[in-house]
Amino acid sequence: MSSLKAKDKSEPVAYSEAALRNNAVVVEYCRTSMAALSGSTAGVLGLTGIYGFAFYVFAVVILWVMFMLKSGSNWSKYYVSRQSLLTNGFFGALFTYVLFWTFIYGMVHVY
Amino acid sequence: MVELLLDPNIRLWVFLPIVIITFLVGIVRHYVSIILSSQKKIELLQVQDSQVMIRARLLRENGKYLPRQSFAMRRHWFNNEETGYFKTQKRTATSQNPMTDPGMMTDMLKGNVTNVLPMIVIGGWINWMFSGFLTTKVPFPLTIRFKPMLQRGVELTYLDASWVSSASWYFLNVFGLRTIYALVLGENNAADQSKIMQEQMSGAAMAMPPDPKAAFKAEWEALEITEHKWALATAESDLLNSSEE
Repeated sequence: MSSLKAKDKSEPVAYSEAALRNNAVVVEYCRTSMAALSGSTAGVLGLTGIYGFAFYVFAVVILWVMFMLKSGSNWSKYYVSRQSLLTNGFFGALFTYVLFWTFIYGMVHVY
Repeated sequence: MVELLLDPNIRLWVFLPIVIITFLVGIVRHYVSIILSSQKKIELLQVQDSQVMIRARLLRENGKYLPRQSFAMRRHWFNNEETGYFKTQKRTATSQNPMTDPGMMTDMLKGNVTNVLPMIVIGGWINWMFSGFLTTKVPFPLTIRFKPMLQRGVELTYLDASWVSSASWYFLNVFGLRTIYALVLGENNAADQSKIMQEQMSGAAMAMPPDPKAAFKAEWEALEITEHKWALATAESDLLNSSEE
């Protein structure tokens, strides 16, 4: 037993593969719902151009903050990295957002 | 802002129906493919192989919690030159021609019936029924290069690029609704047309079953180079230290 090793406080972390996958599925679910809802909101509000995309970024950040509030101070119990929670699936959800945005905008404002 | 006036009837009879049709067709495809899907016959040997692979991977990743001897014992069971599992099990590479296997043929046919046929039929019907309408306008400016993508069926040179024709609106829906299907039908649903398109483009390489021989070899190598580093070596001193504090 080396005394040097004893000083090293970083404990080995074991991840459960199934739990990680389940968390990812739930997060993806939230993200899709967020994209659809915020896209509809942007369409109803009639945002155009850069304001719409800014609204999307705003919605993504809000969702992230909500994740953080939900998981509280011990977020590391649920997620490996906080940053990837923010950036993962950004563009996939953007497509959904744009579709809903276009759809509701077309329904409300174009005709 | 609206420099082009569209008849509100287009909204009710073209714009909305396309969204609803695309969505419902996806739902129907999902259930039809559930009806048609045949129960895959699982071979005992395949299950055994995959379980062994999982066990070997677990040993590699979490072997640090085992004492060195236990780790070596398990690795020996997998990797020993004479008696190890990976060395003694000889699997023939399964690379049979799918054309000779009638079960596989029916599977492929069913796949085509549920995937390709609706795409052609519904796409063609939408193109024929709703052709030539401008349906909507995307709420952000686009460059001229998007015109062929968004204005299929309406070739007007002086039209602003952000207007969307009905045929293009259908395709936007086909690609955009995939996440909604995941929301409504759960993961791994069969409603997603764009996934099938990708599979067709990438060719038949995906359909090949994984070769157990190569997988065994890779796992054998990975296990062989795994270095055992016991994570609990300092457990006693850690405990004493924490109780002292």
